[in-house]
Amino acid sequence: MQAVLEVKDLHAGYAEREILKGVSFTLGPDDFFAVIGPSGAGKSTLIRCVNRLVEPKSGQVLFNGVDLLKLSYSEMRLQRRNIGMIFQEFNLIERLSVMDNVLTGRLGYTGTLRSILRMYTKDDIAQALRLLDRVGLSEHVDKRADRLSGGQRQRVGIARALIQNPKLLLVDEPTSSLDPKISREVMTLIREIAAEFHIPVLCNIHDVDLACDFCTRVIGLQDGIKKFEGTPAELDKAALQDIYAMEVL
Amino acid sequence: MNAATLALRVEDIEAGRKRTRRLRFLAYAVILIAVAWSIEVIVVRDTDWSRITLASLLDSAHRFTQLDTSVVPELWEPALETVVMATLATVLGLIMSIPVAWLGAANITPFGKASYAVGRFLMTMSRSVHEIVWGLIFVSAVGLGALAGVLAMAVRSIGFISKTIAEAIEDVDPKPLEAIRATGGTKFQILWFAILPQIIPVFVGNMIFEWDINIRRSTIMGLVGAGGLGLLLFRQMAMSNYGGIAVVILAVLVLIILGEIASHYARRAVI
Amino acid sequence: MHAEPSSELRVRNLGGAAALASDVGATARPADATPATWSRFRYPQSLYKYIALLGSLVFLAFSIEYLNIDLERLPGLLGRMGEMLARRYVPPNVGHVLNAEYWHTVVETLQMSYFATVIGLAIAVPLAWFAAHNITPSRRFLYTPARLIIMGCRSVHEMIWTILLVMVLGFGMLPGAIALTLYCIGFAGKLFSESIEAVRPGQVEAIRATGANKLQVFVYAVLPQVRVAWTGISIYSWDVTFRAATVVGFFGAGGMGWYLRESVQRVASKDVAAILLSIIAIVILSELVSAWLRKHISRAVA
Repeated sequence: MQAVLEVKDLHAGYAEREILKGVSFTLGPDDFFAVIGPSGAGKSTLIRCVNRLVEPKSGQVLFNGVDLLKLSYSEMRLQRRNIGMIFQEFNLIERLSVMDNVLTGRLGYTGTLRSILRMYTKDDIAQALRLLDRVGLSEHVDKRADRLSGGQRQRVGIARALIQNPKLLLVDEPTSSLDPKISREVMTLIREIAAEFHIPVLCNIHDVDLACDFCTRVIGLQDGIKKFEGTPAELDKAALQDIYAMEVL
Repeated sequence: MNAATLALRVEDIEAGRKRTRRLRFLAYAVILIAVAWSIEVIVVRDTDWSRITLASLLDSAHRFTQLDTSVVPELWEPALETVVMATLATVLGLIMSIPVAWLGAANITPFGKASYAVGRFLMTMSRSVHEIVWGLIFVSAVGLGALAGVLAMAVRSIGFISKTIAEAIEDVDPKPLEAIRATGGTKFQILWFAILPQIIPVFVGNMIFEWDINIRRSTIMGLVGAGGLGLLLFRQMAMSNYGGIAVVILAVLVLIILGEIASHYARRAVI
Repeated sequence: MHAEPSSELRVRNLGGAAALASDVGATARPADATPATWSRFRYPQSLYKYIALLGSLVFLAFSIEYLNIDLERLPGLLGRMGEMLARRYVPPNVGHVLNAEYWHTVVETLQMSYFATVIGLAIAVPLAWFAAHNITPSRRFLYTPARLIIMGCRSVHEMIWTILLVMVLGFGMLPGAIALTLYCIGFAGKLFSESIEAVRPGQVEAIRATGANKLQVFVYAVLPQVRVAWTGISIYSWDVTFRAATVVGFFGAGGMGWYLRESVQRVASKDVAAILLSIIAIVILSELVSAWLRKHISRAVA
């Protein structure tokens, strides 16, 4: 089974401070990875280094065999189409409708002129409707994004990521801004859809219990170093103490 | 959702989007036609193109590049005068803005809607009249020279400064006022300890901003006889000394850039 | 801008912890320890503040001296001004402005300012995009030139632009229109770019993550956020440009200002008064329309 994502010795940070100090792991096509760790460990940075929203300093990020860090700006843009991202603060375009927000997922596939005139293809619109139906937002298609609840907004975010037909899903703290019950619903939705469309997931999460309930493998990060990698079952108290050394659980 | 309903919904959405797109195009077309008309009037009809050739344009541009450095020693005094005028004008403008802001602040205006309207009207008047027009008015009132320029800029500044003060007064947080009143403070103490500390940072920053703008205005006050570098510019223009004009304008640019730098650091220090 | 809070806090906490520790069972503080004092005036900050205040007062006194402003004459100034203005300017010769030629210049003024506002705003939009530090498509090649252009257009007073252009292009509406356009670019460009720099970065991230190119990021992540602010700025730009357009004629460009200059040169004060009043009236009218527009368009755009 060929790995979808191979991260090798990734270093990232500024001149004064290194945030990621040589992180490596491999993600296969059926995996749902959870990245846990105390705040400041570099979880967000790690996720963003994969699609180069943050520029790493050194290392390799092999996405289906292609080293993303060696690509030019325009080549990277093309690769980003294959990587969907779901955000902690949802990051929807507030003033646009739900439909328009989901369609922005197709920007990488739409020519500049057409996208400025908002002329998406009928297939795009059909796909958007299907995805919105799948996440349960059929009745809200024309609503403005800022009129939705947190859980609804995150579901729009999920649809937006999926309309890209991604080969990898990056998920950055999807539930931090949601209450516990909605958090579970959103995580369930992500896991179901990922399995249904056969997309591996790299998910940043600070709620350890939630992580263990939904993922297939856990990566524990502390201060930029991978301190643990294993199945949720292997994540025992000793391992947790090791990862969260500076925090009291 | 089955394929048939999906197809229907897609058609529906497409039609809606087409409609919005057409409306937007229409709006842009109207604006474009109006602009095209104004271009036609300005560029085509009004301009005497027989007199403007590329050669004459280049020639004029070239004349500006022959900088007349003999003008440089004459720059210093007017430049200083320009800065002094702007500073004085901003301070005077502040002093005159206080009663106007008092009238134009909805929560403290003394005679209700009437005085509020008067305050707001004064603010609008001050801003609606161009500084050149104020300059003309004051030159005929107090004669040529810096005083006219100072008065003109001061009156012009009233509009902005009093508006900022009035808004700051209206936005004042009532909780500190309550607190001081609860400890038995007098009206003056309320003003001094609860109201002023909230207002002062806001309007000091805006004053520095207005000072910066007044430097810019001060440079042209001399064009109507009200002092500063503008007077020098006017004289150079009268002599048709292209090189001299260029030098004065460069001096103006330098002055304004220095003013921008000064106001940038001053605002950082205050905020 | 903000002082380093963390180090101070640490120190204070240590102090607090130590004090607690000493209260809890450890020895009490020695009796001869110096009591803590607090004073409002901390050296040297207070010294700097007083020097600045004193310096300002000295500068003010110097300015008044330097500009030869006769303070003794000032109190009577208002009265004398009022009396003289009444004598010379009242009643304004309204007949002077009520002719077709004057109204033609009013139309000229409107056309110049409309031209300048629309074209100026159209140029200011991409310029502001280049000049915004967070979203500029090229920090190396586009950012600095764009900022310089905007600053250059702003620094030069619109009247100076007018004079320069009149010297190069001759009298007429064209130099006025171009001068006003440059003014509008500087004015709107700065305000536009400032509002771009204030957008929420999360939305920009999200659009970038879909593989959109820089223009798509601008259109989809930035424009929706700044739409409301930009509408207000655009209307404000129209106000400011129209106000300047009424005066550019004074220096040789088209519009009402030319009439003004002509009357000033003839020292026909009553004519001047009439023209000034009409200028003020028209500008206030324009501002009323703008205020109405602002209220109704904001609601539609929001």
